[in-house]
Amino acid sequence: MSIFNKAPLRNDDDGARRPRASAPEGAASEAPTPGSVPSRKGSSVAKRKNLGVGSFVLLALGAFVFLFPFYYMFIGSLQTSPDTSVGGAFPSPANITGENYSNINNSIDLLKGLANSGIFTGGVIFFTVVFGLLVGYALAQMQFRGKGFVFGMMLLVQMIPFQLLLIPLYVMIVRDYGLSDSYLGMILPFAINSTAVFVFRQYFMQLPSTLFEAARIDGASELRILWQIAIPLVRPAIVTAILLTFIGPWNEFLWPFLVTKDQAMEPLAVSLANYISNIAATASNPFGAILAGACVLAAPAVALFIFFQRQFISTNIGSSVKG
Amino acid sequence: MSLRSAGVPATGDSAGRAVDQRQAPRKRKNFLGRQPLGLLFSAPYVIFVLAVLAYPLGYAVYISFHQFYFTAPGVQVDRPFVGLDNYISVLSDPEVQRSFANIGVFLIINVPLTVGLSLVLANALNRVTRLKTFFRVSYYVPYVTASVAVVGVWLFLFQQNGLVNSILGPLAPNPSWLTNSWLAMPTVALYVTWKQLGFFILLYLAALQNIPDELYESASVDGGNKWVQFWNITVPGVRSASVLVTLLATITGANLFTEPYLLTGGGGPDGASTSPVFLMYQKGILQGNPDVAAALGVVLVIGVLLIALIQKRLVGGKED
Amino acid sequence: MKHGKVSSRILSLTAIAVIGAGLAACGGGASSSTASGANSATTAKGPIKIWYSNNESEVKWGKDMVAAWNAAHPDQQVDAQEIPAGKSSEEVIGAAITAGNAPCLVFNTSPVSVPQFQKQGGLVPLDSFPDGAQYIKDRTGDLADQYKSSDGKMYQLPWKSNPVVLFYNKDIFAKAGLDPANPKLATQSQFLDTARTLVKSGAVANAVWPSTASDFFQSWFDFYPFYAANTQGSQLVKDGKATFNNDQGKQVATMFQTLYKENLASKEVYKGDSFADGKAAMSLAGPWAIASYKGKVNWGEVPIPAAATQDKSYTFSDAKNVAMYSACKNQGTAWDVLKFATSKEQDGKLLSQTGQMPMRKDLTTAYADYFTQNPAYKNFADQAARTVEVPNLNNAVQVWQTFRDAWSKSVIFGNQSIDDAFKGASDKINQLAAQK
Repeated sequence: MSIFNKAPLRNDDDGARRPRASAPEGAASEAPTPGSVPSRKGSSVAKRKNLGVGSFVLLALGAFVFLFPFYYMFIGSLQTSPDTSVGGAFPSPANITGENYSNINNSIDLLKGLANSGIFTGGVIFFTVVFGLLVGYALAQMQFRGKGFVFGMMLLVQMIPFQLLLIPLYVMIVRDYGLSDSYLGMILPFAINSTAVFVFRQYFMQLPSTLFEAARIDGASELRILWQIAIPLVRPAIVTAILLTFIGPWNEFLWPFLVTKDQAMEPLAVSLANYISNIAATASNPFGAILAGACVLAAPAVALFIFFQRQFISTNIGSSVKG
Repeated sequence: MSLRSAGVPATGDSAGRAVDQRQAPRKRKNFLGRQPLGLLFSAPYVIFVLAVLAYPLGYAVYISFHQFYFTAPGVQVDRPFVGLDNYISVLSDPEVQRSFANIGVFLIINVPLTVGLSLVLANALNRVTRLKTFFRVSYYVPYVTASVAVVGVWLFLFQQNGLVNSILGPLAPNPSWLTNSWLAMPTVALYVTWKQLGFFILLYLAALQNIPDELYESASVDGGNKWVQFWNITVPGVRSASVLVTLLATITGANLFTEPYLLTGGGGPDGASTSPVFLMYQKGILQGNPDVAAALGVVLVIGVLLIALIQKRLVGGKED
Repeated sequence: MKHGKVSSRILSLTAIAVIGAGLAACGGGASSSTASGANSATTAKGPIKIWYSNNESEVKWGKDMVAAWNAAHPDQQVDAQEIPAGKSSEEVIGAAITAGNAPCLVFNTSPVSVPQFQKQGGLVPLDSFPDGAQYIKDRTGDLADQYKSSDGKMYQLPWKSNPVVLFYNKDIFAKAGLDPANPKLATQSQFLDTARTLVKSGAVANAVWPSTASDFFQSWFDFYPFYAANTQGSQLVKDGKATFNNDQGKQVATMFQTLYKENLASKEVYKGDSFADGKAAMSLAGPWAIASYKGKVNWGEVPIPAAATQDKSYTFSDAKNVAMYSACKNQGTAWDVLKFATSKEQDGKLLSQTGQMPMRKDLTTAYADYFTQNPAYKNFADQAARTVEVPNLNNAVQVWQTFRDAWSKSVIFGNQSIDDAFKGASDKINQLAAQK
């Protein structure tokens, strides 16, 4: 329910540390070029990768615990009648139906919902990336008055429960700004994602500050430095931030639910949550209907995630990400 | 509260800071700092925070000191200043006290479990070579899926006649998990751990990349086994990440809402899984008392700040 | 970085937020005064917006009604849509009132939230229309008095009720060796005995399965109908005093406590309809539910049993009303639509399409044909005349939540004695009812 979905933070600051300690004139040559970021791990990586049987079993066990509910969700969504016995965890030809899915398709305009979700999520990602990159870069590589204030603000924002702001925010967006039933009204409260700012700051801090000092001496404008030097270097961070930002609005239910009175504007999460709480109860197999709704909602997020997972994981620019 | 140092290994931090301090007096001529353009870069974010969040937050604080309810536009009502009345009524409400106790139980289970499991699993993930992609994806999938979606399957698994109880047979708790006053909150805590773990594994995975391999190599030369290596090298090596994980897990836990709302039918059984944010929703939105709800929200934010400071002292104390 | 520095920054930010609050206080007040325009608004005509329930059969009725109106009034078009609601239509309507974008009419306003909306200044008193009070009185009769607000005005039009009765599954009763044609459900002790027989025979796992969720409204479908039957129609709160802390109230509580103790009813929340799914042999519901039992359950129904047998049974009405919202500009049209939608003709369509009972005093005579053709609904129409509504109180939701919490604690989960829980809830509700 939080509007501030969490994002991964690189815990490494060696980029900022190493070059600062070295002489300024050597910095330019030491600066990484896009795509071939220096790796400290080097060849010794292989030596660490000897994994005991115990750890492998642990991982397999963990993966089972993590994936099983999803498997069970899918099996349950295909059942004609709910089977909660141990045998129900295995597909049984006598108890399989696609009816739960066709029911959803009949009561919800899935394509429209998908499009609305896409616009909502896309808008949030756009604002998050643009604003996040600007302020993240400023916080990491620029010295200016009020920097600490901005940083403190970022922390405070993450601690406020959304429910505290809900009604004043709603009144402001709808009454003062007149944005009910509009995509902008949905997007606005999510457009600031302090966690994303935090991620960007963290990544920019890993870049050697001498690199930027040199560019400034060459007379490059800050915007140009950001656009041509800094952003290409943190591309994996941007992909990560996009994927993690995606999760928040894609799954968000309460806010778009309040802002959209018009069903034609509802994102998928809202219409599916409505389906789950209202319509599913009267279906012939309510559990199957609920689980089918859950599968429909989960599928795009999971698919996108699997598709981008390579990018997603190579988030640390400290390691060589070419392979 | 220093998240900046949280992201910086101890040695590197002090070195960097020393350099900064040496350079600072020489360069800082401009009143607005060396790169005043930074203000402009920060401006969109700051303006956004002020325009979208500060006003509602300020309004919420204002509401908490007044007798207040929302009215239709143009309706004039008396909204007297009541000082701390709303705070007193919140803090003396047994339901509220209960909800804070519940969150305490939640954090005691959830935070150590999150920190421990995510570190152990990230450590194993970092070394695994076979099925690496499969393992990684499987740990992240719950995190990327909406709570609305996965709550359904948890209900299905943990109900009286659900699969979990079918497997446990005579060992199944009675009353069942979500209707048992003692087990409801731990089950919720377990659910949230499961749901969020992928994100924290990601944090630890990044941190693990920074532990120099030489440390492990010299340790194995010295004859330390894996367990010793884990305790003596890995755990201290990711201390700053642990500070962050602890803090973020605490913030997420303190803002618990969806789970008592959806998983335990509104904070049941008998209020055993209510959370402060759930009560805010109940009082402020359902019952039309936003003044009391706002006071509860302010208390909660202050509480989270205090816990974060204490945790910083306990977990990350050595760094300063 | 030192944490002291950051926390002081956060403090200074908080200070700024408080200053922002001062500004908010100035800006948050009245932006325009509409009080003077109130009279002209009640006669204004033009296009309006309405919401109706998202229940499938009601949507169909709503669409037909709006189409009929729009065909006859091209200059006063009605733009209708389903109420955007899950569990929480109250929060959507409440927020819309505050934001000033509520529709003109909501055809599913719950009586429990009317006082709250009224306090917010969100509702138009229907007495402000010259024929308002008379229309309601002519249509509904004396039963309408229950919906009068504390200021003596009517902020809702009593629209339709769903008198709660006891449904039972004839097949399960037969399986348990009980007579499905003449179930022993005339008194509460018979009800309890029947429940025991049902479960002990192994015919069903739960004799009855009311929701055990903590939502404030759940007591309307376990305690309140039985309490109404026991007391011949007493409201939960009367003249500012809680009424339930007496033998009649505690007797209902003890009966439910026994059901839970002897595992005749589950303490879990069932996702779905336990009765329709055959998970419970009995259910407390109104006629709206019949549509969802079709093809699933071979059902019968009896009035809610009281402690002793009685000829005239009382129950909870579970009514949904129509209210007009003050954001409405063309209130003249809205009032005409309201009268059109609650006319004898439209009420007849509502009855035949949804099975819900329009709150008309002449219900059984006006639609005599319908009831001869659908004898199953005759009892509901008869019962609709003897229903009790939720009390019209400013803190109604809080009152019900207080009661629900006490009920959960004592009756369902047995963590407190019924005496203590009812005493505590009654004291707190008396306090709440005394507040303005």
